[in-house]
Amino acid sequence: MTITKLALALLLCISIISCSSDDKEDLTGQTGTLDLKFDNGVGDQDFIFGTSYNKSNGESYKLTTLKYIISNVRVKDSKGNMFIYPTANNVFIIDEANGNNAGEIFITLNNVFAADYTEITFGIGIDQERFLLGAEDQGDFLAEAEEAGMLWAWATGYRFMRFDGTYSSSSVTDEALAIHMGSVGTSLDNYREVTLTLPNTARVRETAHPEIHIKADISKVFDGATSVNFADGYSQVHTSSETTPVIADNLKGIFEVHHVHNN
Amino acid sequence: MGKKSSKMKKILIIVVFSQFLFLSCSKEDTIVYVAKPLNFDVPSNFPDMVYNLSNNPLTEAGFELGRKLFYDGKLSANNAIPCAFCHEQAFAFTHHGHTLSHGVNGGIGLRNAQPLQNMAFQKDFMWDGAASHLDLQPIIPLTSELEMGETLSNVIEKLKADSYYQKQFTLAFEDGEINTSNMLKALSQFMVMMVSSNSKYDKYVRHEDNVSLTQIEQDGLTTFQNKCSSCHATDLFSDQSYRNNGLSINPRLNDKGRFVVLENPEDLYKFKVPSLRNIEFTFPYMHDGRFDTLETVLDFYDSGMVDNGNVDASLKRADGSLGITLSDYEKESIIAFLKTLTDNEFLNDTRFSEF
Repeated sequence: MTITKLALALLLCISIISCSSDDKEDLTGQTGTLDLKFDNGVGDQDFIFGTSYNKSNGESYKLTTLKYIISNVRVKDSKGNMFIYPTANNVFIIDEANGNNAGEIFITLNNVFAADYTEITFGIGIDQERFLLGAEDQGDFLAEAEEAGMLWAWATGYRFMRFDGTYSSSSVTDEALAIHMGSVGTSLDNYREVTLTLPNTARVRETAHPEIHIKADISKVFDGATSVNFADGYSQVHTSSETTPVIADNLKGIFEVHHVHNN
Repeated sequence: MGKKSSKMKKILIIVVFSQFLFLSCSKEDTIVYVAKPLNFDVPSNFPDMVYNLSNNPLTEAGFELGRKLFYDGKLSANNAIPCAFCHEQAFAFTHHGHTLSHGVNGGIGLRNAQPLQNMAFQKDFMWDGAASHLDLQPIIPLTSELEMGETLSNVIEKLKADSYYQKQFTLAFEDGEINTSNMLKALSQFMVMMVSSNSKYDKYVRHEDNVSLTQIEQDGLTTFQNKCSSCHATDLFSDQSYRNNGLSINPRLNDKGRFVVLENPEDLYKFKVPSLRNIEFTFPYMHDGRFDTLETVLDFYDSGMVDNGNVDASLKRADGSLGITLSDYEKESIIAFLKTLTDNEFLNDTRFSEF
């Protein structure tokens, strides 16, 4: 009887020890799916096409198109290991028009190594290395970008973003607005990267499928690191070496990870 | 009832022993209907109640059955989306942080989940008033493909196969039938009991516990009475009318509001004036959840309204422009006042919680 009790107690101790130790979980070779959910907003408001939003300087804008390119997505786990999504497929167009009823746009990353991820990094636009692969080596993305109106002539390259619509101020009403920032061939590099710490761990497993909810505050494109005036040349932003880097720096600052859902 | 908060103990419980019970006392295994009525008090600062209790008398067993149903995934197609999924108690039974309701198979509904509180005092339900009786309201989310995606008949089949429900329907209803009518009545009993009437504001207006408002709360109340209370009327904070408040149209949803119910062109873009109780916790705001904060809401009323063709006359200024002019201090003080409508007793009342 006593031996039985002792054995039980010992068994309990072992099970407690093994439960509390994460190192015992062997994740080698295990992969899972990671979703990124992008949700565009304007300050504390949800983004809605055709709705007027105010800037800090009294100008306002309404958009009919809102899209941008995300690439080179990678995630770092709690031990410092980096998982880089395969380069060939690691480029995405986040298009508000493709959102669900709530205006949420999803990117699904398959075959992500099972781990507890704590940080995400991604690029906004197309880096020079990818651009220099040439038009022949862009896979399906070239056609996708062309279809989405995210491409100039190849020599010029990709538009990293398209904000199309109108703007108004005390002196003008519904003037054309077109923010088409990108790199300009190899002469001007506007590719930027952003690293965001996850507020809670994204636990990727074969059976666990987390979703990182990324909020993008598009008001910061105009009122970000630098506040810009539409009236001063920022209503038409295309290839200017003066205005495009300012917009690129502002765009880099619009993202935050709101929370992670572990499903 | 299994759960007894201190408040529950105050509720008058009348035990009616029927002859039926008497007869069945000798048979130990038989479960019988015993009506243990629940008392319902109308708060003294509230208008008259609308729900007719004589058609659905409140009983302990009926309320308990309604609570169980409210938290049971069986009411949805994938058995995983109960009513409580979009109606979380801690947020006055709203879908915390979500602009639109989520449902089975990743479906996303068309509107923001409204709080559940003081349902017994409402004439009709939903943002567009599509449900004219509380007993009928649950049919809408239950059968919506974007929400619970079920059919009433299938839910009843699932309940009939469950031993808890076999017992509880017998305890709750005289006819003991597991059917749609009794299921909806039980849900109503649970929702009728959900009364939020013990906020700081309530205690202030009822002169209870020597509660007083701070200067800024008092200023906010005064401004509120002058500029907001024609629509957010009575201590329910809604006149229960349908109005177009000049929100821009979201082309993705193109929600025509009450027009959908009666197809009356005068109802275009009209939505029910929402109560403001517990509004500190019911964000995001508006029928599509487009505003995250109360500041954004008041900025909208001050300077963000658009003429979508049918804006309510009460929201027009003398010069014909749209909006309610509010100074920065008026906005700040209105928000301070609105936070006095938070009712922590309600938000934490264990009678309404899952466990």
